[in-house]
Amino acid sequence: MEKTNTLAAAIALAFGLAACGGYAVPTDRMIASEAAARSAREVGAANAPQAALHLKLAQEEIAQAKSLMNDGNNKRADYVLIRAKADAELALALAKQADAEAAAKKAADQLNAAGNQ
Amino acid sequence: MKTGSTRSLAFSTSAAAALLVCACGTTNPPEELVQAQETYARVSKGIAQQYKPDEVHEAKEALDNAQQSFDKDGPSPETRDLAYAAGLKAQQAEAEAATIIAANQKETNEKKAQTQTIDSLKHDVAVEKSKREQAEKKAEQAAADLARIAAVKQESRGMVITLSGAVLFTSGQSALLPGAMAKLNEVGDALVKSSPESKIVVEGHTDSQGRASDNQELSLARAQSVRDYLVSRGIAADRISAQGLGSTRPVATNKTPEGRADNRRVEIVVQPSPGGS
Repeated sequence: MEKTNTLAAAIALAFGLAACGGYAVPTDRMIASEAAARSAREVGAANAPQAALHLKLAQEEIAQAKSLMNDGNNKRADYVLIRAKADAELALALAKQADAEAAAKKAADQLNAAGNQ
Repeated sequence: MKTGSTRSLAFSTSAAAALLVCACGTTNPPEELVQAQETYARVSKGIAQQYKPDEVHEAKEALDNAQQSFDKDGPSPETRDLAYAAGLKAQQAEAEAATIIAANQKETNEKKAQTQTIDSLKHDVAVEKSKREQAEKKAEQAAADLARIAAVKQESRGMVITLSGAVLFTSGQSALLPGAMAKLNEVGDALVKSSPESKIVVEGHTDSQGRASDNQELSLARAQSVRDYLVSRGIAADRISAQGLGSTRPVATNKTPEGRADNRRVEIVVQPSPGGS
């Protein structure tokens, strides 16, 4: 009877550990989120309003995830980083879209100007 | 008095009730999931489906994950996170499709502009060629007209029109004869047509009889008469000058009457224009 109780306690302890600190540190997702945010900054996301908004959100979420990781809450950090990565990647896509549309407009204006000469 | 089995029954009933609440769907999906579903529905019917089908598919998978999370855990923070990211993924597909469309438009417009520039250059070249051909034709016609009324030859100093002194002047005089004027009218008209920008020099020449200084003076006076008459016929005064050369440049012998007659002459030299035409 005593042996059974000891085994049960050991199992309970093992489950408890897994529940509290067993979630892996989301290093890969942090790296991917930061890389996406950096790319967005480099293509000028700060200059396109919608892209700038999502870049700002990504940066805030990355900071929030770091804070959660410091508190040992890796699982919440991981999910917050899912948001951060999505925000950063959207910021990058929106910045590229703004660039491409500006270039298309410039080409159209030049064509119109040439046509009017 | 409750037995163990009674307690167990009570617990089972509570658990079943709790499960029923969940199963009946009283929990509404979180705002993030609703928005993600709406965004995906819009994006999957738009340009992204044509230009970025793989991204649209990824957005669908992300949305399914969020839905599964909601089915399993309800509106948990994790469900909200997954749904939020799924909605953004769909927007990303839309933005990337719009980028491709804009890049295509840019390329099309640049090609059009290039074609337009080439067409415009071709048109300019054609117009220029046509103008040049017309000018050449006009010049040829004028040269032919001149050749009918005077001796014309092409030299390195330009086109030289030679008019006999006997046709233009009385012996020893510099006043033009009436018949000379008719001839100079034709020469003047041809010069205006053929060489509207060339510089013109009217040279007076005599034979070697008499004093050189007299010959020089007479040749200049005759050249001046011809020059003034041509100015009166419409040739700009600043384009035409007169020069007296006396007997310094004979074209024939001064020992025979025929040679001396040839030497008494006026030469109108039309210098090549600066443009080279």
